[in-house]
Amino acid sequence: MTTGPLTAAESDGIDRRTLLKTVGGSALAVALAGCTELLEDGEDSLADADVPDEPIESGLQTFTEGAPSVLGVQAQYGAETAVRRINENDGIAGREMNLDVVEEGGAYLTNYQQFVDEGKDVTFGPISSSGHAEMVPEIEAQEVINVSTDGTVTTLYEEDFPDVTYSFRFQNHDVMEALAAVMQAVEVLGSDSIDTYAGINPNYAFGQDEMDLFSRGIEALTGAEEVYSGFPDLGTGDMSTHITEVNGEAPDIVFSSCWGGDATLLLEQGHANGMFDAVDLLVGPVLYGSANDLSEDLVDGPIYSGSRNFYWGEPSTDRWSPAADLVSEVEDEYGVVPTAHFMSGYGAVTAWATAAEKAVRLLGRWPEQEELATVLENHGFFTPAGYHTIGVDHQGYSNAHFGELTWSSDHDAAALADVNVFAAKNVSPPPGETSADWIGSW
Amino acid sequence: MLEHVLNGFYYGSILFMIASGMTIIFGVLGILNLAHGELYALGAFCAFSIVGFLAGQVAAPTGPATAIVFGLVVLAGSLAAAAVLLPVGGALEATFIRPIYDRDEVYQLLLTYGLLLVLTDVMKFVWGPSPVDVGVFSAVNEIPTTELVGFGYPSYNVLVILIGVAVFAWLAWFFDRTKTGRIVRATAINREMSTAIGVSTDRMFTLVFAIGAFFAGFGGAMVSIGPSSASLGMGLSWLVLSFVVIVIGGLGSLKGAFVGALLVGVSSRVVTPYYPQLELAVPFLLMVLVLLVRPEGLYGTWGEIQ
Repeated sequence: MTTGPLTAAESDGIDRRTLLKTVGGSALAVALAGCTELLEDGEDSLADADVPDEPIESGLQTFTEGAPSVLGVQAQYGAETAVRRINENDGIAGREMNLDVVEEGGAYLTNYQQFVDEGKDVTFGPISSSGHAEMVPEIEAQEVINVSTDGTVTTLYEEDFPDVTYSFRFQNHDVMEALAAVMQAVEVLGSDSIDTYAGINPNYAFGQDEMDLFSRGIEALTGAEEVYSGFPDLGTGDMSTHITEVNGEAPDIVFSSCWGGDATLLLEQGHANGMFDAVDLLVGPVLYGSANDLSEDLVDGPIYSGSRNFYWGEPSTDRWSPAADLVSEVEDEYGVVPTAHFMSGYGAVTAWATAAEKAVRLLGRWPEQEELATVLENHGFFTPAGYHTIGVDHQGYSNAHFGELTWSSDHDAAALADVNVFAAKNVSPPPGETSADWIGSW
Repeated sequence: MLEHVLNGFYYGSILFMIASGMTIIFGVLGILNLAHGELYALGAFCAFSIVGFLAGQVAAPTGPATAIVFGLVVLAGSLAAAAVLLPVGGALEATFIRPIYDRDEVYQLLLTYGLLLVLTDVMKFVWGPSPVDVGVFSAVNEIPTTELVGFGYPSYNVLVILIGVAVFAWLAWFFDRTKTGRIVRATAINREMSTAIGVSTDRMFTLVFAIGAFFAGFGGAMVSIGPSSASLGMGLSWLVLSFVVIVIGGLGSLKGAFVGALLVGVSSRVVTPYYPQLELAVPFLLMVLVLLVRPEGLYGTWGEIQ
C-alpha cells in the first residue's frame, strides 16, 4: 500500500478545464466550489426543468451552545455560508434555500422528527457520533435525506448500518483521521524510533473507535507497544490523572482524539504537568477543531494535529484562491478562522445541493427523495477544500490533512505548519472491506 | 502514587468548594437547590470578566515579586467574582425561595430547576453561547510554589488545595466561633425558638442562601482561572457530584462535605489509572458503600450545620 503524504500540487492542483468539466459548468456548483470567476458561458439546460417555485426548506442540528459549540458553531457558520452562496447564485435549479438551525444537545431524534414534521426537504447534522448512530434507523423510516456533518464513527456504515438509503455523511470517517495520525507520527519520528505509545481519548464511541484504529495502525506499521490508554469523560473537568500516567510511562507518542473544551483542557494540563517534556510527540486528529480557542502558549511543543478534510492554509492560499476567498469571507462575516468543522457544515450542504441540481438535469424535474438519494451515491463535487466524493457506502471521502500546531500572527490564531495531505485511498479501506480487516492486511 | 493523591486533593478541593455551599443551603434551609450548579457556572463567567479585566492591569509573572502580585490579583478577582453571587443569591432567596419553605419538596425541585434554566439563559444573554476562557492558567502556573512540594507539580493545583483547606477552616470558624454563625445554626435547629428570642429568620435565611451562592461562585471562579473554560451547562456534572459528596459526608455536615469531597477526589483519581472504566462509577460506588454502613452519611447532622 502507499502510505506517504501527497504534495499539495498532487492533491489539490486542478486546472480550470477540469473543474468546469467536473462540476458540469453549473453556476451553483462553481459557486460552492468557491470559484465563481471560472464560469464562462452560462448554460441553460435547467431552464425547461419542472421545478417548484417555493424555496427549499432545510434544517441543521448542531451544537450551538456550551462546550461542544467550539465545533458546532463552526458547522453552523459553514452551512450558513453555503446557503448564502447558493442563494446569491440563483438557488438550486432556480430554487432558493432556507436553513433553520437548532441546538443538537441530546435531542437528535426529536430534532430530526421535528424537521420532518415541518416538511423540511433535507436535514443536516449532527456533530455527535452517538447521535448520528441513534438517528440512522429513524432517517431510514422517515425517508427524508439527512447528510450528517460529522458523526464520524467508522463502524456506523461499515458494520452497524451497511445498507442504508437516505442517511449520508459528508465528513471523513474516523479511520481516515486515525490513520493519518499514524502516518504523520511515522513521518515525524520514523518507524524505528517509535517503541511505545499511549492514548487519552474521550470516553464514548468516537474516542474509543479512534484509539482502537490508531492502535491497530501504529502497531502494524511500527510494532510499537501500548503503555497506557485513558478515557476521560466527555466534557471532563480534569485530566490530570491520565496526564500523570502518561508522564510516568514517557511513551514516544501520545494519541488523543479529544476535541472542543477537552482539547484545550488536555493542552492546558499537559503543559502545566510537563507532558510535552515527557513525550516525543502528541498527535491529535481534531485538536485543531479548537483553533479559535487556543492561545499561543498552548501550541508550543511537539504537537501535531489533523484538520480532517480541510485546512484553510493548504494548499497555500496564494495558490488556491477558493480557500483564500473563503477565509476572508468567514473572518469578515464571523470573526473566526474556518476550521474543518466549518467545512463539515459547508460540505454537507454542498453535497446535497450539487446532487439535487444534478438530479434535476438528469430528470428534467425536481427529484423525489429516493431519486436524490441515488444521485448522492458516488456523487463527486468541489468545495474550497478540494474534491470530495460520497461513496456508495454513503460515507464522505476526501483528502486528510495533518500538520504541526503553530501560531499565525497574521490571523492571531492557531495554525498548522508543514501540512501533509493524505489521499483518501491511503487512509481508508477499499469499498466492501472493513477498516479493521484492511489494517490487519498491512 | 503521590502525584495521584495530590491530583485527588486538587479535585476534591474544587468539589468541596461547590458542595460546601450546597451543604450550607440544605443544612439550614432544607432546600435541595438544583440551581446550585448554575450559581457555580455564574461564578465562572463572572471570573472571566472580572479576573480577565484585573489580570490585564498587571504584568504577567516574570519573577517572584511579580508572581506574587499576579497571584494576589487573580485571587482577589476570584473573590470579587464570587462576591457577585452574594446579592444574586440573596435576591433569589428573598424573591423565589422564601414563599415555598412550607410547601412540599416537589415545589422546591420545580422552582430551583426553573431557576437553573433562567440562569442559563441569563448567562447566554450576557456572555454568549460559546465557552470563554480567562486565559490566566499558564501565568498562575508561573508562580514558583511547586518547589515547595519537592517535584514538578502545577502551582495552580497547589493553590486550589490550599484554598480548599482555607475555605473549610473559615466556614468551621464562622459557624463555630462567630455570633452570626451560631445564630444560623440555632435557626437551623429550631426556627420557632429562634424567632421567639428575636432572631429574624428571614434575614438569616437570606444570608445563608447568599453565603451558599458565594461559595458555589467561588468554586466556579477557581475552575475558570484553571485549565477549564466557563461554558453553559458546565454546572451539571459538578452538581451531581456535589450531591454525592454531601450524601457521603452526611447532609448538613460541613466536616462531612470536606471529608466526602476529599474521599471522592482521591478515590476517583487513584482508581482511574488502574481501572479506567470505573472513573465515573467510583464516586457512586463510594456513596453506596458509605450508605450501607452509615445510612446517615459519615457525619450526618440532618437539619443543622456542623
